[in-house]
Amino acid sequence: MSRGSGGGYDRHITIFSPEGRLYQVEYAFKAVKAAGITSIGVRGADSVCVVTQKKVPDKLLDQTSVTHLFPITKYLGLLATGMTADARTLVQQARNEAAEFRFRYGYEMPVDSLARWIADKSQVYTQHAYMRPLGVVAMILGIDEEKGPQLFKCDPAGHFFGHKATSAGGKEQEAINFLEKKMKNDPAFSYEETVQTAVSALQSVLQEDFKASEIEVGVVRKEDPLFKVLSTEEIDEHLTAISERD
Amino acid sequence: MGDSQYSFSLTTFSPSGKLVQIEHALTAVGSGQTSLGIKAANGVVIATEKKLPSILVDETSVQKIQILTPNIGVVYSGMGPDSRVLVRKSRKQAEQYFRLYKEPIPVTQLVRETATVMQEFTQSGGVRPFGVSLLVAGYDDKGPQLYQVDPSGSYFSWKASAMGKNVSNAKTFLEKRYDEETELDDAVHTAILTLKEGFEGQISGKNIEIGVIDNDKIFRILTPSEIEDYLNEVA
Repeated sequence: MSRGSGGGYDRHITIFSPEGRLYQVEYAFKAVKAAGITSIGVRGADSVCVVTQKKVPDKLLDQTSVTHLFPITKYLGLLATGMTADARTLVQQARNEAAEFRFRYGYEMPVDSLARWIADKSQVYTQHAYMRPLGVVAMILGIDEEKGPQLFKCDPAGHFFGHKATSAGGKEQEAINFLEKKMKNDPAFSYEETVQTAVSALQSVLQEDFKASEIEVGVVRKEDPLFKVLSTEEIDEHLTAISERD
Repeated sequence: MGDSQYSFSLTTFSPSGKLVQIEHALTAVGSGQTSLGIKAANGVVIATEKKLPSILVDETSVQKIQILTPNIGVVYSGMGPDSRVLVRKSRKQAEQYFRLYKEPIPVTQLVRETATVMQEFTQSGGVRPFGVSLLVAGYDDKGPQLYQVDPSGSYFSWKASAMGKNVSNAKTFLEKRYDEETELDDAVHTAILTLKEGFEGQISGKNIEIGVIDNDKIFRILTPSEIEDYLNEVA
């Protein structure tokens, strides 16, 4: 049995390639893009909004069961972009960890702690051969008691950063270019502006106008720090506001 | 550790006697952002570039320089997620030492234990080496110290060192400017100038990080405005 690089195993498990890269991690990123969904997150002055496409491939599917937006605790939300099955196991573990944190320490798990925990778990998969990295990019949102609205993004490599705005999935780069222009001067968006920026970014990048049933929107607001998934009616209101604005 | 199906080491000798996985890990370090450290007469300074993938990233959420104990700090070049694992393990080892001996862990001991962890990952089953090199800066009874630990687990004490993308230019620059009698303040200036050498774009308090420890033996990370002050003195 030949192992290590030279045996071509650097493409099959997470060991280094001769250029010092981890091919399995890079392929995991490709799997996120291959899922064909784009997601966007925007952090405003007192709220955070995440939005993603809702593609229901078969009319016979129960639409309510097709979702990428998961509450982790009452106050923390997670938007998973990529392989749905990997997303579900990540969400399950995150929910467990957040609940244990609350029990152990007596206060709600902060956004950055959860993001760090997810990222550290992802790092383990990049270093140990027996588990492959997950094909999921996770966006965590919540209101931090001290720092206010927070949006974190965790990727298969184990990186995590706080973001003013970000994107993941098929059209990630186009969305980031769009958002960089919008956020260039560090604007302090109100709740409505935050939601509208996120939704209009998705519309612009995918070059289509959505119906309320084709997207999922999740928000947290300082004045109401519970993680909320918007209903179709609420999404419609925002979509109408956007089209009237343009 | 890990599944029994992977109880063989992934880092094995090539016919020429090299451990190629470690060499590849060093390549990964060499493509990381530049970081450096300088040991002064009365302290140590470590510094690194902090280039973020987009302006949308909140730079206050990122801290590359980490505190291991009140008198020891660390910076890395290479893969950020791997460095977090080492920081966590080192902090725990320092605490365990303190609990046992009721005194702060000496810098050499902490470096040795961290290096041992890194070596274990080059020999254990089912894992790959860490893709980071660490610069550990500390001040204890033996005075100011600077150590570099590589993915192989080997470590050396340095008067000044650099790692990452711009390592050869940075080291040449440091060799010319290093003086054993340098005071910490001047060492910070030298560190900034060395970073500036290979810096793409405009250097500012927001895209570099600097950590210092002087003879009060407290490791401190400079705030962006303190860095700006130093940058103005240097410009």
